[in-house]
Amino acid sequence: MYRDVVGDVAIMQLQELAEDLKGAKVVHVNSTRIGGGVAEILHWLTPLMIDLGLDASWEIIEGNEQFFNVTKSFHNGLQGNRVALTNSMIEAYQETLVENNKRLCPILENADYVFIHDPQPAYLLSLCPQHKGKWIWRCHIDVSHPNRKVWNYLKNIASHYDASIFSMPLFAQRLPHPQFIIAPSIDPLSEKNCDLTQKEINRTLERFGISKHIPILTQVSRFDRFKDPIGVIEAFNLLNGSVDAQLVLAGGGASDDPEGEAVYQEVLEAAKDDDRIFILKLPNDAHRTINALQRASTIIIQKSLQEGFGLTVTEAMWKSKPVIGGNVGGIRLQVHNHHTGFLVDTPEGAALRMRELLRQPDKIKAMGKTSKSFVTQNFLLTRHLREYLTLMLAFRRGLENDLISV
Amino acid sequence: MAFNTEKNNMPFEVKDCALITRMGGVDTAVNLRELRERISVCPQACLFHHFSETLVRPTFDDPEFRNDFAVWSARLLRDRVLAERLGILNPYSFDSLEQLREVVVDIIDDRLSELPFIPSVPIGDDFIFMQAATVVFDCGITLERPEDLVKVFPTMSNSSIYYHFIEARRRTEDKTDDFTNWMQGFGSGCEKLIDAFKNVDFYYLTLPELKKTLIKALNPFMLKSCDE
Repeated sequence: MYRDVVGDVAIMQLQELAEDLKGAKVVHVNSTRIGGGVAEILHWLTPLMIDLGLDASWEIIEGNEQFFNVTKSFHNGLQGNRVALTNSMIEAYQETLVENNKRLCPILENADYVFIHDPQPAYLLSLCPQHKGKWIWRCHIDVSHPNRKVWNYLKNIASHYDASIFSMPLFAQRLPHPQFIIAPSIDPLSEKNCDLTQKEINRTLERFGISKHIPILTQVSRFDRFKDPIGVIEAFNLLNGSVDAQLVLAGGGASDDPEGEAVYQEVLEAAKDDDRIFILKLPNDAHRTINALQRASTIIIQKSLQEGFGLTVTEAMWKSKPVIGGNVGGIRLQVHNHHTGFLVDTPEGAALRMRELLRQPDKIKAMGKTSKSFVTQNFLLTRHLREYLTLMLAFRRGLENDLISV
Repeated sequence: MAFNTEKNNMPFEVKDCALITRMGGVDTAVNLRELRERISVCPQACLFHHFSETLVRPTFDDPEFRNDFAVWSARLLRDRVLAERLGILNPYSFDSLEQLREVVVDIIDDRLSELPFIPSVPIGDDFIFMQAATVVFDCGITLERPEDLVKVFPTMSNSSIYYHFIEARRRTEDKTDDFTNWMQGFGSGCEKLIDAFKNVDFYYLTLPELKKTLIKALNPFMLKSCDE
């Protein structure tokens, strides 16, 4: 199926690269099988590795509420937030992994390659002294400006790995081993990105009362201040009727996040007098709805004030949409002024570019075409998988060489 | 036009390559002086990566300059004079990466002496030194005679073309591409194609553009093949 999307050559490359890795025992470990970007990746990465002949498996660690509170603190701390890190927290973290290790150790010690995803299972390496394979810490988090106390603790753990992987050079920290860069990717066949019929797209618009005859500007994101939904509404208001358009702000449910709920209420308040603005609070699994909204859109907005890689931008580009994005994080890598969209710093900048694009449909089409081509060539899961295989081969043949023949 | 070749050469094994990038092990640079200092000590693999491997790296970008130092100078340092001076450098025209390094450092020194200040970038826009490992693998395709290129070339991946046409120049003694090297082992009939390949100014092309250009160079031979 992927062959139809990425072409024969991309599949052949994977098969040839995997030839030398056939039978290699590869274990991925993370902390959840459902929910979150890491689980999404492992849901396709593990079976595709198996399809290519690797002996790949995916293990998860289990923990109680206290453990996940500690690892949540790690997560927030790595992203630069001030968090407490007490001895009892460290004890709770380590003890949980000691428990998990009783089950996992025989599997991990026999593996040729162990990929430990994010900080939750990272301490396992210290508990498997007899391991024979290469252990790689796959950090999906932006650790460019971590809380020093949290980083010092985790750095000590991560330093013992054979290598680490970060999503972008900007996200990396100095460690005493090779630090590889593997950018995220999207699955073109997933519910969120697969082709949809025009009928399904139209039905989605009808469900929310959105007109298919008026251009649609859409931002898909959680109701989070860093995504600046209020700034997007401000930008839309600055259009002041100069061009006919509708604005859709669609985001995942935030009922378990008190701040998310507050932001959602603010957004509702800001949009309340305007029937051209649609605020859609969607369940976390509304992937097809999001897909349909993105495909129905004329322009995608991602006016974040802070952002990781920004996969919603990649998703929009895959659907041949120009993106008006905040001039931050990974959005800067993906959006290039006048080629794939525009980077903006203010609501005024966003309004200017909305108007510019809405008045030039040819430009929208051209940018969309360029965007799709970049994603097809570089940001689908086949490239992601190819880089994992390349990394394992590089390890097998010696990292001191920069040209390795297999 | 047709090849008139006697087989007196080894078959050509078509290879492909995949890249995995890694941090270069050198601190980032936030201003031009730091860039100069880091370039003067960074591993050769970093220089090669920022000058040559930009073509095969996953990107959302098609920048106006082919090397990362020029792109950074133009976009983030906002020094187009320096960007243009660095952008014109063709790394394959130098005898060695050390010679290239000397020239780059020299250009930056010149620029620093011209400016009344040291241009710098905000934190977050630093130049990050990277390098890469290239894994080369067999495509399972073997060419017996130059004529076979006509059929196989359009099906080759961009990374395969990169490996045989560009990367080859760092592997081969006379700094030429693998196709030319191979064709030189045949008799008459290949000279025109060798010349056509030699005249491709590849360094300033993207890989899809390069592929198109090379296929165009092969066109006369393709037409002949079709006629036959």
